[in-house]
Amino acid sequence: MTDLSVKSWKKQRNEEESLNSQEGLKLGKNNAKKPLELARTRLIVAGFIFTACFLVLGTRLLDLSLIGTDTESVTSRNYTAAEMTLARRDIVDRNNIVLATNLPTDSLFVEPKEVLEPEKSLAKIKTVLPRININSLLSVINSGGSFHWIARNLTPEQVWQINNLGLPGFKFIKEEKRVYPHGSLFAHALGFAGVDNRGLTGIEASLDNRLTGVANVNAEPLKTSLDVRVQHALTLELSEAMASFKAKGASGLVIDVHTGELIAMASLPSFDLNLYKESSANERFNRATLGVYELGSVFKAFNTALALDSGLVKIEDSYDATKPLKVSRYFIRDDHPENRWLTVPEIFIHSSNIGSAQIAMDIGSERQRKFLSQLGMLEPIKLEIPESGRPLSPSKWRDINTMTVAYGHGIAVTPLHAINGFAAMVNGGIKRQPTLLYQDEIHNRNISGKRVIGADTSLTMRKLMYRAVTEGTGSNAQVEGYLVGGKTGTAEKAKAGGYERKAVISTFIAAFPIENPLYAVLVSLDEPRGNKHTHNYAGAGWTAAPATGRIISKIGPLLGVPPSTANIAFPAEQKITRPIKNIIRTEFRRSESATF
Amino acid sequence: MSLAGKHIQRDLNFIERVFKINWVFIFLICCPASLGFLMLYSAADGNIEPWAKAQMIRFGIGFFLMLGIAILDFRILLKLAYWFYGASIILLIAVELLGDTAMGATRWISIGQVQLQPSELMKIGLILGLAKYFHGINFEDIGRLRVYIIPFFLILLPAGLVLKQPDLGTAILLILAGSSIFFLAGIRIWKMAIALCLVIGIVPVIWQFLRDYQKVRVLNFLDPESDALGAGYHILQSKIALGSGGIFGKGLMQGSQTHLNFLPEKQTDFIFTMLAEELGLVGALGVIFLYMLIISYGMFIGLKSSTQFGKLLAMGIMVTFFLYVFVNISMVMGILPVVGVPLPLISYGGSAMLTLMLGFGLVLNVWVNREFRIGRRPNSILPHSNI
Repeated sequence: MTDLSVKSWKKQRNEEESLNSQEGLKLGKNNAKKPLELARTRLIVAGFIFTACFLVLGTRLLDLSLIGTDTESVTSRNYTAAEMTLARRDIVDRNNIVLATNLPTDSLFVEPKEVLEPEKSLAKIKTVLPRININSLLSVINSGGSFHWIARNLTPEQVWQINNLGLPGFKFIKEEKRVYPHGSLFAHALGFAGVDNRGLTGIEASLDNRLTGVANVNAEPLKTSLDVRVQHALTLELSEAMASFKAKGASGLVIDVHTGELIAMASLPSFDLNLYKESSANERFNRATLGVYELGSVFKAFNTALALDSGLVKIEDSYDATKPLKVSRYFIRDDHPENRWLTVPEIFIHSSNIGSAQIAMDIGSERQRKFLSQLGMLEPIKLEIPESGRPLSPSKWRDINTMTVAYGHGIAVTPLHAINGFAAMVNGGIKRQPTLLYQDEIHNRNISGKRVIGADTSLTMRKLMYRAVTEGTGSNAQVEGYLVGGKTGTAEKAKAGGYERKAVISTFIAAFPIENPLYAVLVSLDEPRGNKHTHNYAGAGWTAAPATGRIISKIGPLLGVPPSTANIAFPAEQKITRPIKNIIRTEFRRSESATF
Repeated sequence: MSLAGKHIQRDLNFIERVFKINWVFIFLICCPASLGFLMLYSAADGNIEPWAKAQMIRFGIGFFLMLGIAILDFRILLKLAYWFYGASIILLIAVELLGDTAMGATRWISIGQVQLQPSELMKIGLILGLAKYFHGINFEDIGRLRVYIIPFFLILLPAGLVLKQPDLGTAILLILAGSSIFFLAGIRIWKMAIALCLVIGIVPVIWQFLRDYQKVRVLNFLDPESDALGAGYHILQSKIALGSGGIFGKGLMQGSQTHLNFLPEKQTDFIFTMLAEELGLVGALGVIFLYMLIISYGMFIGLKSSTQFGKLLAMGIMVTFFLYVFVNISMVMGILPVVGVPLPLISYGGSAMLTLMLGFGLVLNVWVNREFRIGRRPNSILPHSNI
């Protein structure tokens, strides 16, 4: 064998086996080690990815089993499969009326190994509990095991009857059943706890850790900001409006504009919390805090307030609303066209889209976006329920977006967002965090907030809102006894590729008494249809506004709001105070405790 | 002659092959499998029926299948790689035409008494096919884009067929496993990046093909609490059960969440939840560690192989195994949406067990033949003697 032959053999190898090269064979210098090295580097990278993935798993596991569930693991370690009782704290409204409580019940289970005559025993039990399925239970018992449910939450009479049968292997466990005395009234605010007494929606889910656990068993009831009476009035008016306008759904909110407390929250259609299993997804859906909608002209309140507060627009300025405004290939039109030059107050009162869009352009996109962000309109609201909708806003804030946002299109928020922002417009200019928990009179008064507009701008806005109700689109919201200020919003619903002309969301937000507002009320109807009383109009002024008026006239006296004194609509530069209300509140409580 | 002598290749005989089988790897595989039997025993409230026994029988059959494949001639593997791929594809098409429909999806094919899920076999078939393809590619060509056209379709064809069944989870696993072989074979990173962008672009198109329940699952994954009674139920209950185990767990057959039937499917896809509840954080972390050991050992085997085919085959199978583990555990912990992927070796189920044992058999075969060298073209086995 010569050198030559070895070389030629190597050459052949070079072609055939470049992938399998090893140190002994000198191929092209650069390529010699490359494949192997590459494979190693790639493998190291892959190894890192694997390790990272497993680290993620391990961390998540630690998080789930140790950190996130302190109280959970305490309770569940104490109770195993055979003995499980979980108590939940009561929930009460602001006047200590019980909204959710527990009923001790007994549940029947079977220990198959101890059962003597399965068939006969089950037949006997069926005489007491006719709904059990003997065949399936029989197969369960025959398959052995140590624990199977037969029926949960039995009445004392049923328990007594089964005990009388004297069947071995069939035993009872004491359980707590969650009961909601008001049925469907607080369906979305309270939420419900499932059969294992764990909160699944609403306050019951979000505050699960504060409601359950060994530490909380004997604690005071959880006091919410809700008021049964106001909630009832709101729900009643909403359902009547929904029925007479054949709306698909409705939502309503009542908020204390000085504390952010939600006095009432309703979403229709609703369901009975005690029968939550029979509810549909549509009924469980919370339109007040989870659904996001384009709310239309309601946003003109924010637009006008920002314009006046920034100083860039004066109240006596006027804008050309003689004809529709052309923006690139779109036209902005007015629903109630005046076809003339309008002043800033007129634009607000007559709800002019053309005027609002021009005002917004004078303010500028960046200022508008910043203001709405300060108002919390661009982020989900952290409320004490998990159902919190994320607003939809333009990803790029172009001029056209600025103009449509000015009159509430191209931006979708929850009704809660809208009423919370509205409260800041009328309460002197302070934006607060809305809450479903009772705010203690002594400790939590003057709840801190963030100033978003000046006090004088807020006063101007109140005057404008008052005029919108007395001379403008909201005239059907006027009631006897209180001066009301508010803003209508009728928004066409978005559909694929445009807007539906016939399907609208009609919203009305009002504050009362507008000369010194204490509460704000929101009513929103999903696809209302006009009837002959409204001359077939489905707009907010015809549908949502009158309902709001009726709600105010009902809840005003209930909440102890003193009637407005006629003719003295706005004493100049009045400071926001609430002495009268406090006196009435305490008096009300005193009389209440006397009667109960 | 020492230089040439190094490359002398002599065929191993049967006995030698048996002795070269890696028993450490086999022991590692047996660990989670045994744990699986225990969990299935516990899931049936301390009964060997109906799950644990059947699972043991399957593992036994799979075990011998694995050993059988381990001692096969390496050349036969290489020769049959494309055939196996092709057969899997044909089975996939067959399932489309005459498969059994269960729960709205056609995934099963019946051969006499035995039910087979071709999409599981496809996972092995795809890796075999791709490994063979890249084995035949010159290293200088790896940088060229045209090289990737054929393997691209090798992945796309089965992925498409599986997606049509429809089985989103398996389709994604196939695509991920396939692309990982691209990566290990040495495709440039920026090309991977472009491919990734393409895939992201395709997502809206795939969305159209998804069944409603799949859409609900994906959407629901984004916010499980939004529908606690409906589709979010599984994840929520699973998370509660995971949390309730504590550090050392409640002990076998004592898990309240799983045994009181809050958690359906506890013996199959959600078995990790039950394990975490009954054996606690320690047990769950232990299982994860065990899987890590198996994967790193399998990767090591791949690295030791002197042929590209062996490397890619072993590593590809270990990547598939890793994907099973990661997707399943992430799913029960709510990191990923619920897709039907079992926990390998522990979950109850026949097709997955068969696939895994088949795969492990191939990995063992790579180990047995780690010093075996084959040129790029399958027929050109290196000279047996030094000329």
